[in-house]
Amino acid sequence: MRQQNSPTLLNHYSAWKYVLLIVTVMVMLFSALPTFFGEDAAVQISPEAQLKVNPLELHQLLISNGISVKRIDQSQGDTLVVLGDNSQQSQLKTLLTSQVNDPSKLTLTLAPAAPNWLLYLGFSPIKLGLDLRGGVQFLLDVEIEPVYKLHYSTFVDSVRQFVRTSDLYGVAVQYQVDGSVNITTKDLQQRAAIRDFVSQQYPNWQMSNSGERGLSLDISDAEKINIRNLTVTQNLQIMRSRIEQLGITEAVVQRQGEHRIRIELPGVQDPAAAKSVIGATASLAFYQVKQAGSVNAKTLKDEQGEPVYVARRPVLGGEHIVDARASLGEMGLPEVVIHLDRDGGRMMSDFSRDNIGKPMATSYSEYSRDDNGQIRQTTEVISVATIQAQLGDRFSITGAGDYDEAQQLALLLRAGSMTAPVTIVEERTIGPSLGEENITNGFSALALGMGVTLLFMGLWYRRLGWIANVALMANMILIFGLMALIPGAVLTLPGIAGLVLTVGMAVDTNVLIFERIKDKLKEGRSFAHAIDRGFDSAFSTIVDANFTTMITAVVLYAIGNGPIQGFALTLGLGLLTSMFTGIFASRALVNWVYGRDFSRNVKV
Amino acid sequence: MNIINRQNLKSLSTLTKARYLSSLASLLIMLSSIAIILVNGFNWGLDFTGGVVTEVKIDPKIKSEQISQLLGQGSAQEVSVISAGEPGRWVLRYAKVDNAATGDIKTVLAPLTNDVEVLNSSIVGPQIGQELAEQGGLALLAAMLCILAYLSFRFEWRLASGALLALFHDVIFVLAFFSLTQMEFNLTILAAVLAILGYSLNDSIVIADRVREVLIAKPKMATDEICSSAVKATFSRTMVTSGTTLFTVGALWIMGGAPLQGFSIAMFLGIMIGTLSSISVGTCLPELLKVKAEHYEVTPISDTP
Repeated sequence: MRQQNSPTLLNHYSAWKYVLLIVTVMVMLFSALPTFFGEDAAVQISPEAQLKVNPLELHQLLISNGISVKRIDQSQGDTLVVLGDNSQQSQLKTLLTSQVNDPSKLTLTLAPAAPNWLLYLGFSPIKLGLDLRGGVQFLLDVEIEPVYKLHYSTFVDSVRQFVRTSDLYGVAVQYQVDGSVNITTKDLQQRAAIRDFVSQQYPNWQMSNSGERGLSLDISDAEKINIRNLTVTQNLQIMRSRIEQLGITEAVVQRQGEHRIRIELPGVQDPAAAKSVIGATASLAFYQVKQAGSVNAKTLKDEQGEPVYVARRPVLGGEHIVDARASLGEMGLPEVVIHLDRDGGRMMSDFSRDNIGKPMATSYSEYSRDDNGQIRQTTEVISVATIQAQLGDRFSITGAGDYDEAQQLALLLRAGSMTAPVTIVEERTIGPSLGEENITNGFSALALGMGVTLLFMGLWYRRLGWIANVALMANMILIFGLMALIPGAVLTLPGIAGLVLTVGMAVDTNVLIFERIKDKLKEGRSFAHAIDRGFDSAFSTIVDANFTTMITAVVLYAIGNGPIQGFALTLGLGLLTSMFTGIFASRALVNWVYGRDFSRNVKV
Repeated sequence: MNIINRQNLKSLSTLTKARYLSSLASLLIMLSSIAIILVNGFNWGLDFTGGVVTEVKIDPKIKSEQISQLLGQGSAQEVSVISAGEPGRWVLRYAKVDNAATGDIKTVLAPLTNDVEVLNSSIVGPQIGQELAEQGGLALLAAMLCILAYLSFRFEWRLASGALLALFHDVIFVLAFFSLTQMEFNLTILAAVLAILGYSLNDSIVIADRVREVLIAKPKMATDEICSSAVKATFSRTMVTSGTTLFTVGALWIMGGAPLQGFSIAMFLGIMIGTLSSISVGTCLPELLKVKAEHYEVTPISDTP
């Protein structure tokens, strides 16, 4: 290399740029490191679980049961059992059940295997998608129609009530099948009175005159969206609390689209248990029992299929339930103790005061989807009990079956009562061994692709090739570092495919520049000048060429589902980082090493 | 850019002939691809049709007929049992979601064996499948429109049309391959098709950039020579980048395992055909549309020394 003073400062990067580059790469390296150590499956025993044995005994016990334990940590009462073999997680949990007083406080979790000092710096491993970790994923559909129906029927009742109390004779209020309410009146005064009432009491309803004295009413579109959002949000909350009861820390519960909820349960191998908790949408309602043939009665069936005649409207719906617990009652019969909110308590108290000595029915409804995809509601009367005294906000019901069934019912009720039926429309299970297999395959493909590319670039461009190679390695560090840093970024199997693709395409930036440099050298420029012109003239082409791939990555991310989003993420991030390393980092290296080389006839 | 000598001109004219020939080939490929897709259709995967797919590992001695017979008994619909690479590993596929299909596969297979390992299972409702198909089509359309907008903003329409035709050509070819072989077309393949969209343009744009540059630098040069010299100038870049990308996608094909097989095949074909089309139809269409230096006169010339 020849040192020569150039009239202008050609190929010069100021010191701060080098500092920026080095700091960026170092930070990303630290951020990427924990991922390479991976994560170990673990079971967390919280203090409330009350572990019956000390850690030493526990260790002995687990070893004798053929479970490979990496370590047992105890801090602030929490005990963490870290496994050496990730596939033994559920086995370990089952074993631990007998060693604690409250098995529901055992949590499946993951412990980073990276050294502590890295974790203290706040770095964590990349989150892996279900296709790499194994687990179950559900997509739930929240049916909004029944909620709308409820709003319609409350509205119709309320208007009818108004008509009755205001003595508006001859007014007919009808609920149409197409989902709107029609009112026919006898004269315009009646219509005006109803209009006043509706606009005061139900400002979210749209009204339009129909015919001479008719009115057509419907929930406004904005209010419909509002109702839908509220319903989905409520269901999200309910699902979260239900999932919490399953004891999986890393579970994801997210809204997807207008009325779907996606649930990811990593580490769960048996979907059946999770399904019974998630899938069942139960709601309780309490009815006044009527005589057979009464006017305002509807028929429900009890467990034996015998009809029970109840009032059309329930006294109280399950949405007022605050807590529900299974216990054994005075007679040794299993019962569910229910705790109501204030409104519910008042309603129940009013009703029971007036109906002491009369029977009250408790119905249990479950929603499922039939073969044609239609929602089917099955309602069963689980108990008919005589009201012995005025009930408050705390009372118990019996007749739910044996103790286990009572417990299951309590769990469902505790998690909340569904105002909208929810059905599972998609279910995916990935076994843990397949997850491991996917990781191994994906990363060996990455290693092979990377190796071949590095070798090829080194041989093809020789002097400049190693610069491209350093840039490529920096690129990988940046992608891994960013994936670990970005909240919500998940690495999936298609994501690894995106990484592999990025390796192949990232060198393009350098190839474009190097080819330009070659061109300029052929034109007889010195190496340093060729470098300067080469980088400049390739820049707009690089941006143009990367921009279109960026468009597809963004579109894929916006529209795709989980695994595809993973692909879009690595592809998009890869484009950004490859621009950074291909243009900025490799320029810095080239400037530093060849920037002052003014010799001509250089072969690259 | 220096004076082009006679030797250069001669090689340029052979290159021009090669471009014309390959364009003809590309045109044929496109037409037959469309015909293949129209005739064969696609073997839509579970993601789009809905249904149940379960992959299990059982005793290798059990034959596929035994399994399908057993599964057929429990369900009113046809069940396909496909070998998944190694012995004893099977993919069981139901077209519809019903109780027999969603029930526990271990109990269904119990009469044959008790040692069943469920590797993965997917249950997709018919509604979801349809939605995913719609979303996929939407994604393809949205990406195309965005790219169209970008190209028309960045390039003159004659030059942009070449890149667009090349892109259409590549996507149609890969789709036709999946139609012809009846390999499963699922969401991952769709992602690959979209990635090909981006990649194909990548090549075309690099060449179009060059064409534009030469057009501005040498307004007097014949259009076919401009295109050929642009192809020639970018040729080694095209080969190197396509080469490295093919290496890595090839690595994915060999090592990536069954779930990424379709994806890597689609990408591999897409990159190969994308490289070809960027040289053939990508440059020949603008030529046919008579792209000229005047179309770029407004651009200030700053690059020429």
